[in-house]
Amino acid sequence: MKSMNGLERIKTALKLQEADRVPHFERVATSVREAILPGASEEDFIEHMDLDGIRFVDRTHSWDYEIFDESKHIKKDQWGGLVRYTTEDNPVPMDPAIKSEKDLDAYVPPDPDAPHRYEYLQRLVKRFKGERAIMVGLTDIFALGRENFLGDIGYFRAMVKNPDLIERVNEIILDYQLRYAKNCIELGADVLWINGDWAMTEKPMVSRQFTEKFLAPPLKKLVDFAHERGIPCVKHTDGNIWPIYDVILDTGIDGLHPIDPMAGMDIGEAKEKFGDRVCLCGNVSCAFSLVSGTVEEVKQETKEVIRKAGKGGGFICMSSNSIHSGVNPKNYVAMVEAIREYGSYPLALD
Amino acid sequence: MVSFEAITKAVTSGDGNLAYELTKSALDADVSPNDILDKGLIPGLQEVGDQFESGDFFLPELIVAGDAVSKALELLDPILGKEGAATKGKFLIGTVKGDIHDLGKNIVIMMLKGNGWKVTDLGVDISPDEFCTAVAEGDYDVLGLSSLLTMTMPNAAQTIEALKAKGLRDKIKVMVGGAPTKAEWAQKIGADAHAKDGPSAARVAAELIANA
Repeated sequence: MKSMNGLERIKTALKLQEADRVPHFERVATSVREAILPGASEEDFIEHMDLDGIRFVDRTHSWDYEIFDESKHIKKDQWGGLVRYTTEDNPVPMDPAIKSEKDLDAYVPPDPDAPHRYEYLQRLVKRFKGERAIMVGLTDIFALGRENFLGDIGYFRAMVKNPDLIERVNEIILDYQLRYAKNCIELGADVLWINGDWAMTEKPMVSRQFTEKFLAPPLKKLVDFAHERGIPCVKHTDGNIWPIYDVILDTGIDGLHPIDPMAGMDIGEAKEKFGDRVCLCGNVSCAFSLVSGTVEEVKQETKEVIRKAGKGGGFICMSSNSIHSGVNPKNYVAMVEAIREYGSYPLALD
Repeated sequence: MVSFEAITKAVTSGDGNLAYELTKSALDADVSPNDILDKGLIPGLQEVGDQFESGDFFLPELIVAGDAVSKALELLDPILGKEGAATKGKFLIGTVKGDIHDLGKNIVIMMLKGNGWKVTDLGVDISPDEFCTAVAEGDYDVLGLSSLLTMTMPNAAQTIEALKAKGLRDKIKVMVGGAPTKAEWAQKIGADAHAKDGPSAARVAAELIANA
């Protein structure tokens, strides 16, 4: 088979076909990157590891923040809520923007067209366009509404007691996200990567009925919008999504990440049940093997994941969430080496 | 005549106004506040917890049920306080160092309060020393350590070690929980119990006290 570049590999997998080899990319925590290639920028690291794509998230590379309490590492995000910075690269929501309907009546959303939001994307386009997949991470409408707008408790309460509030919040966020997505696509994004959990380890956060009513419709609108412009979408959600996976797939997404093994999601079973409908992205454990396993254990797990999910294509081999700061850098390198060793098509693993 | 079953049903259906009105009517009819709690409100939360564990209820239903109990407790708390009624116990809780996720912790608190516990919430990102200070200064029955991230789980173990080092371990029962945690791990790090979610936390805490 003709050798492909990273962009071709990712796009081929998202079309549920076999590339020249199983594609791979990750979002890698700064500390892990530093341990592997000290002093390297994220972009240099991508080239050094020859990753097939680069993904960034709107929270860290596009949203505005202002300092709220410097000593406690607390900032106000662009939606009006408070977030706190920890040792991870992502800021974590701690106090929501909207506490009552009055707040929402007076709410002025941020401007998605502000040019500075796209500086990082433009840098990536200049360096990688046409060679590696440029994936723009958008925070899911449900996750953004829950974490940054109303807070978890406020959002779940409103789903039962005040569904109109949820609809209003969804509308505000969707309007922003569609405009943001449009700008990103016009600037050269290759894939939209929609972040935000819909499930916990044990089960989905909300019932199937609420998933269909509140979560799926705005996601479908985002996916349809991207598809009209020829751009595929990957949905990320941790947790056990067995009870709602069909609702998620019905939104038309092209890829599903990470098929959370800690939540009992077996990627072989996923391949069998819906591998013909969506590209599977996952699921080498970043809760266990990548953190505390041996290099050999990581290689074996990676090989096993490829064996279960790689056949026929439609598979991107990744960790089960991200290469977070707790991952052993040697284990991440071992995972990448194993993908290269065992992931050439046609696979010879059975 | 107010029926406890009606109060229970108001909780399971998440109807805070009804739970409040029925509680008020019961108090007006001289029903003991402890009976309203033990025979009306707590069975409601237990039923919701059971349905959560069996997969019929999810987070929204759990939260509005907790709200309904909170609404009724607005009436009961001042009376129970005055009468010096016994609570189920005193619970100290916090999310371990490095972890500021608090959804799971907040649900645990809601379920504990609804089940008659007095809860002190230390908040998020709490160091072993801060937990030790609170344990030393307070008179708590159970300490709950919450951890959502694999990478912060070791900080739960460090907190237990710090309690031992300061001679405080025997003063309190320790429960751990959070999405990535397992019962085997809880046992390994020397915790007394593990709870996988909010409803089970209330049940496990009660068992810990009963077996103390």
